[in-house]
Order: sequence, then structure tokens, then C-alpha cells
Amino acid sequence: MRQLHVLLLLGVLTSAGCSFDETTNPNSPEPIGENPSRSDVAVAATGMLLAFRTDFADFALDMGIIARELYRFDGSDPRFTAELLLGPLDAGGEAFGGDHWADQYAAIRGGNMMIATVPSSTNLSDAEKSATAGYVKTIQALNYLMILNSHTQDSIPIVTDTAVAAPPAPFQTRATVFAHVASLLDGAVTDLQAGGAAFPFALPSGFAGFNTPANFILFNRGLRARVAVYTDDFAGALTALAASFVDVPGPLALGVYMDYGTGAGDLANPLSIDPQQGENFAHPSLETGAQLQVDGVSLDQRFVDKIVPRPISSNNGLTSDLGWIRYPSPGSPIPIIKKEELILLRAEANIGLSNLPAALPDINLVRTTSGNLPALGDLGTPEEALNELLYNKLYSLVFEGAHRWIDARHYGRLDSLPVDRPSDVVFPTLPIPTDETLPRQ
Amino acid sequence: MTHRWWGMVVALGTLVAPSAVAQVRTVNGMVTNAQTGQGIAEATISVQGTRIVAQTGPDGRYSLNAPDDTLTVVFRAIGFRSQTDTLLMDVATADVSLEPDIFKLEEVVVTGQSTGIERQNLPNAVATVSGSELTRAPTGTLESALQGKIPGALIQANSGAPGGGMQVNLRGVSTITAGSDPLFVVDGVVISNEAIPNGADAVTQAQAGGNPRNQDNPTNRIADLNPADIERIEVLKGGSAAAIYGSKATNGVVIITTKRGQEGYPQFSLTQRFGVFSRANDLGRRNFETLEEALSVYSDTALVTSLFQPGRTFDIEDQVYGREALSYETSASVSGGTAQTRYYVSGLVKNDEGIAINTGYEKQAVRANLDQDLADWIQLSVNSNVIHSRSDRGLSNNDNAGTSPYLVFPFTPNFVDLQGGPEITDFPLNPFERSNPIQTFSFLKNNEDTWRALGTVTARMNLMAKPKHTMNLITIGGVDYFNQENDFVSPPELEYEPNDGQPGTVVLSKSSNLNLNLAVNGNYTYTPESDDFQATTSLGVQYENRSLDATRVLGRTLLSGQENPDQAASLSVLQDDRPVQDLGIYGQEEVLLFDRRLLLTAGVRADKSNTNGDPNKYFVYPKAAVSYRFIQPFRGLDEIKLRGAYGQTGNQPLFGAKFSPDTTGTIGGIFGTLPGNRAGDPFIKPERQTELEAGFDAQLAGGRAELNFTVYQRNITDLLLEQTLPPSSGQEFRVFSSDSELRNRGLEATFTVSPIQSRDVNWLFRTTFFKNSSVITRLSVPTFQTGGFALALGTYQIEEDSSATQIFGTEGKVGDATPDFQMSFSSDLDFKRFTLGFLLDWKQGGDIINLTEYLYDAGQNSVDYLEPLVGGLARQDSINAGFTSAYVQDGTYLKLREVTLAYHLPEGFTRGLFGSTVRYARLSLSGRNLLRFTGYRGLDPEVSNFGNQAIVRNIDVAPFPPSRSFFFSIDLGF
Repeated sequence: MRQLHVLLLLGVLTSAGCSFDETTNPNSPEPIGENPSRSDVAVAATGMLLAFRTDFADFALDMGIIARELYRFDGSDPRFTAELLLGPLDAGGEAFGGDHWADQYAAIRGGNMMIATVPSSTNLSDAEKSATAGYVKTIQALNYLMILNSHTQDSIPIVTDTAVAAPPAPFQTRATVFAHVASLLDGAVTDLQAGGAAFPFALPSGFAGFNTPANFILFNRGLRARVAVYTDDFAGALTALAASFVDVPGPLALGVYMDYGTGAGDLANPLSIDPQQGENFAHPSLETGAQLQVDGVSLDQRFVDKIVPRPISSNNGLTSDLGWIRYPSPGSPIPIIKKEELILLRAEANIGLSNLPAALPDINLVRTTSGNLPALGDLGTPEEALNELLYNKLYSLVFEGAHRWIDARHYGRLDSLPVDRPSDVVFPTLPIPTDETLPRQ
Repeated sequence: MTHRWWGMVVALGTLVAPSAVAQVRTVNGMVTNAQTGQGIAEATISVQGTRIVAQTGPDGRYSLNAPDDTLTVVFRAIGFRSQTDTLLMDVATADVSLEPDIFKLEEVVVTGQSTGIERQNLPNAVATVSGSELTRAPTGTLESALQGKIPGALIQANSGAPGGGMQVNLRGVSTITAGSDPLFVVDGVVISNEAIPNGADAVTQAQAGGNPRNQDNPTNRIADLNPADIERIEVLKGGSAAAIYGSKATNGVVIITTKRGQEGYPQFSLTQRFGVFSRANDLGRRNFETLEEALSVYSDTALVTSLFQPGRTFDIEDQVYGREALSYETSASVSGGTAQTRYYVSGLVKNDEGIAINTGYEKQAVRANLDQDLADWIQLSVNSNVIHSRSDRGLSNNDNAGTSPYLVFPFTPNFVDLQGGPEITDFPLNPFERSNPIQTFSFLKNNEDTWRALGTVTARMNLMAKPKHTMNLITIGGVDYFNQENDFVSPPELEYEPNDGQPGTVVLSKSSNLNLNLAVNGNYTYTPESDDFQATTSLGVQYENRSLDATRVLGRTLLSGQENPDQAASLSVLQDDRPVQDLGIYGQEEVLLFDRRLLLTAGVRADKSNTNGDPNKYFVYPKAAVSYRFIQPFRGLDEIKLRGAYGQTGNQPLFGAKFSPDTTGTIGGIFGTLPGNRAGDPFIKPERQTELEAGFDAQLAGGRAELNFTVYQRNITDLLLEQTLPPSSGQEFRVFSSDSELRNRGLEATFTVSPIQSRDVNWLFRTTFFKNSSVITRLSVPTFQTGGFALALGTYQIEEDSSATQIFGTEGKVGDATPDFQMSFSSDLDFKRFTLGFLLDWKQGGDIINLTEYLYDAGQNSVDYLEPLVGGLARQDSINAGFTSAYVQDGTYLKLREVTLAYHLPEGFTRGLFGSTVRYARLSLSGRNLLRFTGYRGLDPEVSNFGNQAIVRNIDVAPFPPSRSFFFSIDLGF
């Protein structure tokens, strides 16, 4: 009997000694690490765009509602007509008040991980590493700019640490972050100039024409011009524009686009919704504010192209009979920056420098080409010139990222945006997300 | 006494009986029921100190061959208290009457992996439910049959959809982010209770609304089991009782024992049921008195004018959920065997017709349980069970695409008629929302088809069987394999389909799960001749391999009439693979002392798992318990047992918690990865629960009443937390083992009384009480919110020194999901040939976030919209002014869970009808959830939009409405 006991005990102990293998995640790769391969770098580079894309369309939607470019009558979620227009903006809610923050920082983190690991790669040439650095900094700057566009507080962190659960980066003033964005973009140019003939990775088709280190600089300078205008550095804007693609031959739609698609693992453009049946509506002020074409009858061609009539509908006290069709198919790309905006930025910079005659040809080019509107003889007073500029920015860039709101805020004109219900508000900014402020308390 | 070990000991005893025993005389007699005087069939008569056993026949008579000596004879029968008599040498007849064991004091209850102890000595409050208690009223799924029957358990449906989806929660909140389901063990084998999403999110876009948790309203797989196969269920509620199950037992262990054959002629039983499910509740819609009133809400004047006719309304809830089709269930079994071979074979065919168009639940199952004695010292048991289940569940729960019916009704006035058909294109478009639910339910397919095989092989070796020493070795090998296929097809012609520019959606999911179990248990029992104490030593090892592999293909832009993802223009694929390996070893010592009045138990278990950061590190879980029986300490108290138990258990991290997965995707065919929003913890380890339990069990009033009382405290340490990171870090949260702690304190009481016991009338009445409160005693991360959609719409706040289930709104704390207390009342009354039983289930308190009402109010379409001060308009004003409390509502309910009236046909009548082969025939009428009393304004206070969750329950967003069922049954035995 003792032998049986011993036998059983031995059996138990033997089985207890058997070892399990260390498991690796069967469902996902781990983040990029030391000495990355070319493929590691390539997928991480695309990864930054994936993170950026996660929120890009949603930003245009939500901020477009605050901009009074559009409505979303979504029975399932009344917050589209309540929280965004009436408040209170919920800093704790990840879908509305607290949104348009995390995805941009995820892209920035992706860039920081690349900055931390790519230099250690033995698989890339120095030129390729430099080109990669220029790409990373440019895309990081684009993401910071998105955050600055939806948040005006002096509470925006600049993040470089990639450790998990690192102490939160300190809040910075808006001016500091704008300066950081400018320096990222300027530093990227140096890197790109040393970046050789090609990136060590492919860029999506929306970057066609801008997918080598040399012509990626054209895109970078376009962003730099936007930053300069937003910070009233109009002379700097003109300098940046000169190095951008503003004068590259091609249609006004030429530019860098975020791609969408219906292929495997791709994302369909969430703004591509049936304009008649879907839940998105155009704001009625787009119809009332549109100028007349040269025929004196038709509304601005940009309105005609992007907006269609639909049966009247109302929701929560709001009413519209306009649908919009800026993105006709699930594969329609959304512009990140396009030549039409650069031309208007040049006009804006010239107006800012009180050089109205220099602004006139650019404004007329857009008016006639895009809007089929009569060319103007002059821009009138500086105030009238600015009105005309903002009109064109609205109709040229509507549904592309709430430019109406950003520009109105820039010029202190938020009260000029139409409010539809007595208690509606035009919020100047989203709150800093609760998850961001709580850990710092 | 029904427990398998008694059967085994008796069976083995018979076999190893020394054949040389002199059989000099025969003792004859009859064993009768002391209450009714009727004979007891299948009672066993054993001679102590020998292996001699006899069994009574159907009339209670027996014949025992025994040595010509003074004998100590033990009489036992299932459901009766045993009796020991001394028969002198010259006695040839011994009639015995046994007292019914109303409180199951001699039932052997599990205390270890392969050991048990009689309830009268049990040191823990282990709840047991017998098979007959489970099947009193027909039920779709096993968990619903347990509702109200286990003090300490909160068992709630997530919605009313056919095919299940329920959560079983024992003794309060045991975790914040880890798994919350108990461990289910069937015949010694851990089986899967996975809830795999069905893919409805591809249409509802529910997860696009800012909450990443799945809201597909999935079923969970324990629903597959056939309640009719179950002999009994034992529920180990917490760490002190379940410690021997180690790192998977913090949420409790539900031990299910299936029926086995007994030696004898084949016994058939057949149950045929017919019934109907009907809608238990509706919400209604606002009644517009005038066209002006309608126009005040809906702006399309031409449309509203053309539709509105005063007094003409349409009941769309009835049109979608008003179905009352005939449901049926046929179950049959046969059992019997010889001395060496015993069998139980059963079959089930069941079809529950759902209350909504095209919904329902079907199940077919066969089971064969065989026991074969290979030699006098080894017995082999083989259980096999094959189940096919199929559910059609429509669409329910949250939605961001205007497809889920209770999200469409709030925005669709009652003057529009959406009826149409029969073709998919014959339905009117819903001019007020994006879909027509009647069209959706008529043509959408959300089908779940599961094949499941459970198999167990158990070898029981009696290595030693001497009067003083017994030793056995039990090895169990088990397999639980299922293949679940979810076919979700949304045809392109459905009204909402073209909205995303990709008409037609198909989601085909194939998930397979394999649980492999291997266990070796050795038990050695020492009983000295004096028989005044007994010591049992157990030692064992258990290996478990679980592997879930789910593959999902999502196709959009689907060709008309096609269901194959090949016929879709855009495809995406997802695979989720979760291979888990666990190994545990344990040892336990159980000693009965002082004439079996004192029980002392101590044990320890060590577990390792590849879900932990270090897959080879053992985590150790000790336990200890004591109980002492005082026999008749004073008048009126027959017996009181004081008990106390201590134990630890673990709760494994969810698979993958130690990894930091990347997010991946493609842009125009270019693949990309980025650091995911969740950071894992490479050092993650199981949560640890330390439970202290104390109580007493008292028998009163001459065996007529029993009072059980238990208090417990359970501390959960090493809490796994999802810490929300500042999003500027680029990651949203990390899962990690923190030094946070959670405490639950609770009280359970059961009072059972049998006020009448006579030949004609037997009445058993039972009431249970349960109260639990939780508090986060230590939180190593800042206060955070979890679940829900936003603070303004109600969310759960995890905060030190506060309840783990407190609900917060804009204004602060607005409620708590934990009930104040729960009670149940059950009664079984036998009057001559009639049996009347009922079960009332009462939950007091426990708040619910009623977002369904919020949606109706937002659509200005709630029935009470204009009612001053308390109506929908007032609630909207209230929440807009910052008072979330407008939609956080008391979830108190009292439900008549079960009611059954049965009539046993007289033997003479059945004999005339079916011949003499029929043993019994019974007719019954039974209902489930027939009555419901609640002040809650939603469809049902049993609701969980996010399915099975540790904390984030009680959120009501457009659920599948509840049903009640009513069945007529015929039971025949022959």
C-alpha cells in the first residue's frame, strides 16, 4: 500500500514538473522592436496612416456638425443633434465630446516607436532612415494639427515617451504645440532632402505624385503653409507655399488624399452614405448662402456638385431637405490637403498681409473654376475680402474637415455661424478628454 | 445518497465480496416509507463489515442471504434517511420503515475533485438542485431552470431572445475585468460556456458608437445541455468550497452529474410537451390625437398628412413580436442493466418557436451513459452526448444603423403602416427611419447552428478494499468539442442595406472549441474497526487543454439571393485563436471524528496556466474547514451543525491579457500595423479570492423544518484591472495585475418546512434569502468609469471605498446595479394524485440604465411623452439639464418563474389504457414566467446589452422582448 502511495505521489510530481511553452500571440504581431526589418518599417509606416484614418472621416462629420456644414439625424444616437449642437460636450464620452484625440495620439505613438527603433535597423540605408524620419515627422505634425484644430486649450501634451504607462506628458500651451508642429515639419524637410530617391516603403495611392522624399516635401510645405496661416504668420505661409505644390500643373483637386476602400482589411469611407436615404443631411445655410453662377440662376457649382435635394426631414427640432454627396462611393478618398486649398491659403496670406490685389487672381481662379461664378473685379474692403475668402473656403472645402468652423474661430467669427434652435451653441473647442485630465490631478 | 460515490462503493462492494462467506440463512422483509406506509423500491440492505448487499423490489420487499451470526444491517434508500438495525442470529424477518430525508441530510455532496461527504457533515453551504427540480417547468436552457433555486446566485437573462444568453453570478461581484462565468463541470470534465458573437455588428454598427464591447446578444454554450439528462447539480459558490478547483473557481463551480443506469429491467420514460411562447410585455407608442400634434413632431407635412387618420393606429410590436406558434419537446430515456453492465440512454427533440417572426430555438440531443465492470476491482464508465442546437435570433440590442427594432420603433409613429409582403420588395419603406422591422425580420437570417459532442471515459480502480482500508484511483478523460456556425445574411433588398453604399451583408462565422481534460485522482480512506472516525486522503492531478478557434468572413455588397460570401464584392476575414493549457495538482485530507460529528478538512491546490505571464509558475490555493453536529442540544431542536470554512481560489486572466496586440489593416492593399490601443501585462497573474464562510444548519420540529444560515466574506486581491491610460500616450488602456482589492460580504438563508406529511397530503415549502454588498477596498489606479456609453447616459464608476456596481451620471452617483436583496418562495404540494408546485423569484432593487426609454423619449414617441412632470418630455428636459437619474430606474421584480399542476393517472386507469407495462402516467400543465410584477418601465428588468459582464450589466438598449411560456405535458414510464 505504501508503494501505491509513493507511485501516485511520483506520478503527480512528474506531471507537475512538465513544462509549458512560452506562448506568443497567435492573433497579432507585437509592436515594432529593435533592429526592425524592412517589412517591419514598411508596415509601421502604413500603420501611422491607419491610425490617422481611423478618425479622419469622423472628424469631418462631428466637427462638420459643429461647423454647421451638416446634420446627422441618427435615431439611434440623439447626441448628433444634442451634444454637438446644444451641449454639454461630454469630456468623458469617447464618441463625441472626448473624441478626436486618441487616434491622433495613437498615430503619434506609432511614429515615436519608429523614431526609437528605425535608427537601430541594419536593414535600411542611412538615406532610407532619413527619408523614414522625414515621413514620420510630417505625419506626426499632421496629427498634432488635427488635435489643435479641435482643441484650443493650453492643455495639449507633446509626447515622445513610448514606455507603457509612462507618466503623462506635461500639458503645453497652444502656441508651444504650434511651434512644435512647425519644427517637426521643418525638420522633416531636412530629413527628406537627405532621404535619397525613394522611401523604403510604399505609400497608398492617395499619395500619388507625393510618394518620393523629394515630392513628399511639396506635401509637407503645404501643411506648413496651413500651420503658418493658422498662426497668422502670413509671410511664412507664402514662403512655405512657394515650396509646395500650389503651382504644380494640374487640376485644383490635385493633392494628397486619404484612401478608403472595400478590399480585405480596408475601411469603407464612412461618409459615403446614400444622400436620399441616409442619416446625413446638409445644413440649410449652404443653400441660402450660395452665390449665383454666371447664368444668374444656378447656385454655385460647388453646391450643385456636392448637395442634392431630398424629402424634408426633421429631428430634435432641426430640419433639412438637403442631402450631400461629396463622397459618392465607399472607395472615395478624402482630401488631406489639395491644391484648391493652397491657392486659397495664398489668397488668405495676401489678405492677411493687406495685399488684396495679390489675393484677387487666386480667389477668382477658384470662383470661376470650381464655382462657375463670375470673376470679381476687386475684393473691396479688407473685411469684404476676408468674407469672400471664407465663402470660397467653405464651398471648396465643405465636408472635408470642418474648415468653416476652424476659419470662423480663427477670425473670431464663431457668432456668424447659423444657430437653429434658441439654446444651441457654437462650441469653440472640444473639451480635453477626462481620461487626459484625471491622471494629472 | 444519490451521489455517484455511494453507488460506486456499493457496486464495488458487491463485486469484491469474498465468495467464501458462509451463506447460512435468508432474511426477508419489507422496507416502507414511514410517512405513507408504502413499500420503497430499490432500497439497499447491506451488512456492515461485509460486502453483502441486497436490494428491494418494486413492492419494497427484499431477501438477504447472510451468515448465521448477529448482523449489523444498514437500510438505505434514495430520498430517505438511513437506518441501522442489529439482527440477532435467529431473526428471519426484518421490516423497516424509513423516514423521508426531506432535507437531503444523507445526500453525499462534493467536497473534493473525487470525494464527497454527507450533507449532515458538510462544512459549506453547497446548493444542490435535483433533476426533478430542474425539469418541473419546461425551459429552453439550463440556467433558466436554476433561476430562484440557489441562494447566493443571481441568474438573469440578457434578453428574451430564444436560445439563451444568461449570466450566472454567485455571491456578488468577483472581478472587474476578468471572466465572470462560473466553471461548469459535467461528470468530472470542464466544459465550455463560450459566448461567441454572431456577427450582427456588421449591420447594427453597435460598436461604432464609442463602446468597443460586443453587443451582438450572443448565446452561451452551456445552454446546449439537456436538463432532462441531469441527475443533479451542485453549486460551489465561492473560494471556501471551490478551492480544490483552484485558479478557475473564483466565480464558483457548477458541478453537473448526469443520470446513470441501475441494475434491473429496462425502464423507459417518455415526456411529450406541447406549448406556446407569447410576448410578456410591450412598450407601446405615443398616440397622436390630431394631425397638428403629429406635425409638431414630424416635419414632412405632405407625408404626415397623407398617413395620419385620426384613430387609425398600427401595433408594430405585435406585428413583429406577436407570434404564438406551437412549440414542442419530446424526451425519452431508457435505463437498466445487469450486475456488470448498466446503461442510461436518452434522446431529446425540442422546438421552441420564438415570439418574433422567423425566430426560434431547436435542439436535438442523444446521450448514452454506460457503466461496465471489467473486473471485480475496475469499473469503466463511458458517457457520450451529441447535441445539435439551432437558434434564430433576429436583431436586437444597440445599433447605430437604424436596424434593431426597438431602435426603430422610437422614431416610427404608430400611424404609419409598415406591413407588406410576401416578397421582400413588397414592403413599404419606413419614411421615418432607415428600416422596416417587419421586412427585416421576415428576410434577415441570423442563424446559429451548433454541433457538440461531449465524451467522458472514467476508470475507477478499487486498489484496496479491506474493512479498514480502502483505496481507489479514478482517472477521467474527457472531450468537449463543438463547432458553431453563425450564418448572418442581410439581403441587399432590405431597406437599410444600401445606406452604406454596399448593399447586402453576409457574415459567416465558424468557431470550433475543443476542451480536453485528463485527471487522475487517488483516494485513500482509513476507517478503524471502532468506526468512530474516518480519514480520507486524496491526491490528484488535472490537465486541461482548451482551444477556441473562431474564423469570420464578412462580405459586403452581396448579390441578390446569395448567401455565400464568395458572392460579395468586398470581403474581410477575422480569426481569433485562443489556445489555453492548464495544469493543477492537489492534495486533501478529510477527517471525521467523534462518532462522525466533527469534520476537519484541509487541502491545497497548485495551478499553472499559459494565460499567466509566466506559464510555468504555480499559484497555490489552500483551504480548511470544520463542522460539528450537536444532536438534540435542547428541546425542539433536533440537530444543529455549526460550520466554518476558509479557502482561496483564483480567476485566470482572459486569454491574451499578457500580450500587447497591434492593430492591423490595409490601405488600398498596403498592409499596416500600429501599436494597439491595449497594452498587456507580461507579468499578469490570476486574481486571488480569499473566502471565509460560517453558518449553521438546524433541523427543527421533529424533522419537519430546516434552517440554513450562512454569512461570508470574500476578499479578492491582485485584481486584474483595465487602467485607462491618458490617451495622449497613444494607448487607451492597459490590462494588468494590480494590488487593488475588492470585498464582498453577504448572507444566505434558507428555511424549508414540511408542514403536512400524511398519506394523502405532502407539502414542502421553501424560502431563500440572499443579500450581498461589495466594496472596492483598495484601488491602485485613479477612479475610473467603465461600461455604458457616456457619463451623461449612465456609466459604472470604479472608486475606492465604494460599491463595485455603482452607477454614475452627470450629477454624480445615480444608482447601483446590485440588488438590495433577493428572495424566493417555492412550494410543492402533493394532494392525492395532484401535485401543485410554484416558484416565486423576487429581486429587490438593483438599478438599470434604461436607454430604450431614452430613445423613445428622444423620438418624442413614448406612450407617456406629454404627461406633465413625469412623462417623456419631462425626462428629456431632466437629462438635458444634467440629470442622468431620469433614466436610471429601479429594477425590482417579482416573477412567478414556474408553476406546475400535475395529475398522476390512477394505476387502474393507465393499466386499462396502456396495459400493465406502464409504471406511471402523469399529465401536467406548467408555465414559466407567467406573472411578473415590476415598476421598471422597460421591457424586462432582466437585461444586459453587453451580454455576460462582471460589472457592466443592467444596461437596457433595445433588447429582444421577454416571453412567457405555457406547456401541457404527458409523462409516461414503462
